[in-house]
Formats: sequence, C-alpha cells, structure tokens
Amino acid sequence: MTADLSRAARETGEVLVVERLGGGLLELVARLPHLAATALPGTFAQLRCGQGTTPLLRRPFSVAWTQDDTCGFVFEAVGAGTRLLSELQPGDPLDSLGPLGHGFSVVDAGPVVCVSGGLGCAPFPLLINELRRRGVEDIFVLNGARTATRLYPASRFARPAVPVVAEATDDGTRGHHGFVTDLLGQALSSHPSALYACGPNAMLGAVMRTLVDSGAELPPTLEASLEAPMGCGFGTCLGCALPALDEAGSSVWRLCCTDGPVMAMRDVDWEGIGALPGADVA
Amino acid sequence: MSENASGAVDLGRGLILPNPVGLASGTAGYGFELDQLIDINRVGALYTKGTTVRAREGNPPPRVAETGGGMLNSIGLQNPGVDAVAAEYAPRWKGWAIQVIVNIAGGSVEEYVHCTTVLEPIDEVAGIELNISCPNIARGLDFGRDPVAAARLVAAVRAVTERCVIVKLSPNVTDIAAVARAVEDAGADAVSAVNTYIGRKIHRASGRSVLPLGNGGLSGPAIQPLALAAVAAVCEAVDIPVIGVGGIVDAASARDFLIVGASAVQVGTATFVNPETALQVLDGLRG
Ligand SMILES: Cc1cc2nc3c(=O)[nH]c(=O)nc-3n(C[C@H](O)[C@H](O)[C@H](O)COP(=O)(O)OP(=O)(O)OC[C@H]3O[C@@H](n4cnc5c(N)ncnc54)[C@H](O)[C@@H]3O)c2cc1C
Ligand SMILES: Cc1cc2nc3c(=O)[nH]c(=O)nc-3n(C[C@H](O)[C@H](O)[C@H](O)COP(=O)(O)O)c2cc1C
Ligand code: FES
Repeated sequence: MTADLSRAARETGEVLVVERLGGGLLELVARLPHLAATALPGTFAQLRCGQGTTPLLRRPFSVAWTQDDTCGFVFEAVGAGTRLLSELQPGDPLDSLGPLGHGFSVVDAGPVVCVSGGLGCAPFPLLINELRRRGVEDIFVLNGARTATRLYPASRFARPAVPVVAEATDDGTRGHHGFVTDLLGQALSSHPSALYACGPNAMLGAVMRTLVDSGAELPPTLEASLEAPMGCGFGTCLGCALPALDEAGSSVWRLCCTDGPVMAMRDVDWEGIGALPGADVA
Repeated sequence: MSENASGAVDLGRGLILPNPVGLASGTAGYGFELDQLIDINRVGALYTKGTTVRAREGNPPPRVAETGGGMLNSIGLQNPGVDAVAAEYAPRWKGWAIQVIVNIAGGSVEEYVHCTTVLEPIDEVAGIELNISCPNIARGLDFGRDPVAAARLVAAVRAVTERCVIVKLSPNVTDIAAVARAVEDAGADAVSAVNTYIGRKIHRASGRSVLPLGNGGLSGPAIQPLALAAVAAVCEAVDIPVIGVGGIVDAASARDFLIVGASAVQVGTATFVNPETALQVLDGLRG
C-alpha cells in the first residue's frame, strides 16, 4: 500500500529561537507555515541539519507544537545533526520536509493517559492540544526522565491550561524515584479510553510489558510512537523497518516512517523490538 | 555533449528517454511516493526497486547507517515480487510520461528469465535493468563479478525479451570494463554503473558492525569520484550507451558523468535528502 504523502512538502523556514530548557533539552522554534498548517499529532518533519554533505541525511523530529505559522521541536544535541540544529541562530534558514508519517488516532472522549520517556515528550503538546479541541479534558501525563533537569517542564505540555503531570526520575531528583512505568498502575485505574506512549523503543516495550502484566483491561486505543534510523522518511528506501505482527500474529516488517511512527501497541512485535540494538548504534 | 546535455536519449530497442535524468533503483520505490512529492513526469526515467520472482521481506534492522558524505544500506531487496509488480503496480504507471524501467534481481539465470517473461507483455514497462550487483543478499554479486556468468545471464534474458536490457554493473570488481564488454557482447543494450560499494561501519562503543550482516552498500556523494572513474573505464570499453550513477547531488556532479562519456544519469541517495534533486539536476543541465 502506498503511503499518503499528500500533506508533505518541502519548505525553507526561518529559525526564531533555540531555547535552552536545562539538562540539555532544547526547544527549536521556527517559522514553517506549511508544516504548522498541516501537521497532525504524532507526525514528524525531516529536518536538514546544516547545508553540507556531512551530515548527509535529514533527521526526523516530532512536531511538538504549532501556533499560527510557527512550529516547535524538542530535542537534545546527541550527534552531528542535532549539534548543528542546536547552534542555529534566529534568522537562520531551516529546511523541513513534512509532515510525514502516520500519527496518533485522536479520541473524542477521555480519560487519556500520555506516557513520555525522556525526549518522548516531543509529540505530546500537539496531541494534547488536539484532544482539548475535541473536548477531552481528563488528560494525565506520566513524564519520566533520567534526572530532574531533563524533565520536559509540565507547563509546556499544554498551554494555557496545564494537564495533570506526574513525574518520575531514575535518580529520584524529582517526583517518583524510579521508572515512569511504575506510575502506570494508578493511571490505568481511571479506565482510560486511550493510552499514548512515546520514548526510546526499550521504554515503550517496558510500558507494554507493564500493561500486560498488570492484568488490567487494556485501553481500547493503545498507541506508541516508535523510532528507527531513517534514510528518506517517506517510504522509498525501506531502511526504517521495525518488527510488527500481522493479523495472524506472524512477524512482519513495518516501515517506521509511513506505517508509523505511531503504531498500535498490540501490533508491534515487542520481542523483536527488544532484540534490536539501541538507537545510538546507528 | 554540451548543447544536447538535457535532450532525449536513445538507449536502444525503441527505449527513448525524454531526458537523461533518472531516479536510481531502490531510491524511488515504484514511483508512487515520489509522485506525491514532485512532478515525477518531468524526470526521464524511473528505475524501480530491485524486483525478484517471489516477495522478499528484506534484512533485519538497522538497515541504514550514515557515514561521512554517504550512507550504508542493507535493505536486502525487500520487494513484493514480480507478479505483484505486474498485477498491482504496472497498471498505475499507465499514462506516466516518465519511462518506467523495472530493475530485476535473482539468484539464478532462471529467476531473471522468469521475471523478464512476466514483465514482457506489459506495455507500461519500458525496459529492464538487470541488477547483477546487489551486495546485500547472498550470491547477489555472483553474476556481477564474473564476466562469463554475466554474459550467460544477459544472453538468456536477451532471448526472451524484445525490450531494452540495461545491465547494472557492480563496482566491487577488479575489472569493471571486462564485465561491461562481456555483457555488451552478450546482447545488452546499455549498461548502468555503478551500484553501491561494499562498506562497513563500526559502532565504536561496542566494537560491533552497525549493520547486522556486517557490510552494507555505500552510496551518496562520498562515492562520486569512485563512480566517475568506474564509469570512465566502462565508457572506454563499450560502444553501447552508459548510464552514470553514484553520488550525484546536483547538475555539476551529474555533468561530470556526461563528460566522461555517459549518455544518461541516475540520481539515488540525493533524492532522500531532497526529493526534487533529479528535477534540479535536469534544470541545471538545461540551464
Ligand atoms: C519519527 C521520529 C521522531 C523523532 N522525534 C524526535 C524528537 O522530537 N526529538 C528528538 O530529540 N529526537 C527525535 N527523534 C530522534 C532523532 O531523529 C535523533 O536523535 C537524531 O536523528 C540524531 O541525529 P544526530 O545526527 O544528532 O545523531 P547521529 O547519531 O549522528 O545520527 C546518525 C544517524 O542515526 C540516526 N539516529 C540516531 N539516533 C536516532 C534515534 N534515536 N532515532 C532514530 N534515528 C536515530 C539518525 O537519523 C542518523 O541517520 C525522532 C526519531 C524518529 C524516528
Ligand atoms: C537504500 C538503497 C537501496 C538500493 N536498492 C537498489 C536495488 O534494489 N537495485 C539496484 O540495482 N540498486 C540499488 N541501489 C543502488 C542505487 O541504485 C545506486 O546505484 C547507488 O546508490 C549509487 O548512487 P547514489 O550514490 O546516487 O545513491 C540502492 C541504493 C540505496 C541507497
Ligand atoms: S526512512 Fe526510507 S522508507 Fe522509511
């Protein structure tokens, strides 16, 4: 099946600011009118990092939020590409191809649980904004990170009204001392209509395992935004394969960029995901 | 070369490309994604993803890794199989101005012949590109490395098709000119060069290869000078048209291939970076 790329377009926007949030988290705000007008929750943009041939490929980033003709991206300088993005100055051009990918199925009724691990916070402001627009008010965010300074600020998950955010840090410097998955049990007791998760693939696997082990009824809408190294981002290189399950439960490859990045958690082959090397291996 | 750099290109057996710029195999799928992103019908030719007798799932991930000025891939010829291409994809090419050339791959002469036979009655298929140079599947290079085996393959395919047969050469050989000459003698109408270079990337923290099979195929601007040397050698060795591919990012890097004697070019990896690259190359050659 051919991916629907009808919304995607390349545009050269303008950087407005790269804000340092602390703990290495960065928020890049750019004027990108096409992306701002067309991005759906969970979709991403392929951003060009620098003008040269190294780094060569674009890098995928979730559209964190949109406002009028601007878009926000949340990231961290982890390699050559993100380092170049972190050095952008107001007025610099920013080349974006997007929106790309299959986003979240946005429900019309709550309660809704959003589970974020580290930079997995990125797609949630746009998602929460859309949920609110549809009248969903009872939104619970479970936000986990290594340490307090690396927690995306609760106030940024939605503006102006901040949803309920429960925090967890691996080192106990803020909120629950432990993993974000420890907070799932309580969130599930509200019988959410939807649970959305985003974070490193290993954390998403842990979320699924915790949900299944809890024995609680799984939310009808249960989705995660996954990661894979990408060549193109638009379905032609076949480089972003992830192990998934077909209708019969057999393992098949699905493309992160067009079948995902958001996938139904029930359809992901979590065992296969667990066997993959971490993202830093690319 | 200069006055006609963007004009029509006759590859033989009635296959005339409206212009010399093509989309390289494996970087444009079967055209349906790029058709949504660019005016694909302004491009001269689409060389499809490598297609095999049966559907292939492809290799385990990670399948791509970036290197200085290039990328490694280990896709493993994921494709739906030639019957699905014939039945489901080909009808969707109806009316396209871009010439669709189906790239086929196989593990035996019989498999290549079978694919060619399935595609033979389909009007939408403008030509065949024989991939004898895939580094990412077992035995993918067997034909590409041996002039005698390559010639035997081309002769067998030649016997079952009236279509233009292009042979995609591997750069992972000692003497690419010898393979080019052998396939010309066996009846190839044109050759394209080059496929990816075998390469490897080490994940330094673990000391292991990034790609699961160890090696992958290197493409992108890093290989352009290597590809240029290979294409120059091929152009000196054969009289049939040569299609240059490898590291093209703009009109200047494409023109280099025309200067050494290529009749046409293919844009591969650069399409990932900017889907409009092939069109920009074309406009630049015209400009
Ligand atoms: C759909 C999607 C959405 C994403 N959204 C965000 C986001 O909103 N914020 C954010 O900080 N990060 C996000 N990422 C991860 C981000 O793309 C990588 O951190 C980034 O590519 C690293 O590039 P680099 O040059 O700095 O690092 P390098 O390690 O030098 O990158 C080398 C190669 O590896 C790939 N790669 C490296 N790390 C990752 C990773 N974690 N996931 C996928 N590919 C990787 C790159 O694409 C590149 O091709 C997203 C990834 C995907 C797939
Ligand atoms: C992701 C990817 C997949 C490819 N798949 C094929 C293929 O199926 N068949 C083939 O003949 N060449 C394939 N190639 C090789 C390209 O067609 C081209 O020969 C090579 O990439 C060099 O050109 P470039 O540097 O412009 O990319 C592939 C290349 C890439 C990057
Ligand atoms: S990144 Fe190329 S197909 Fe997904």
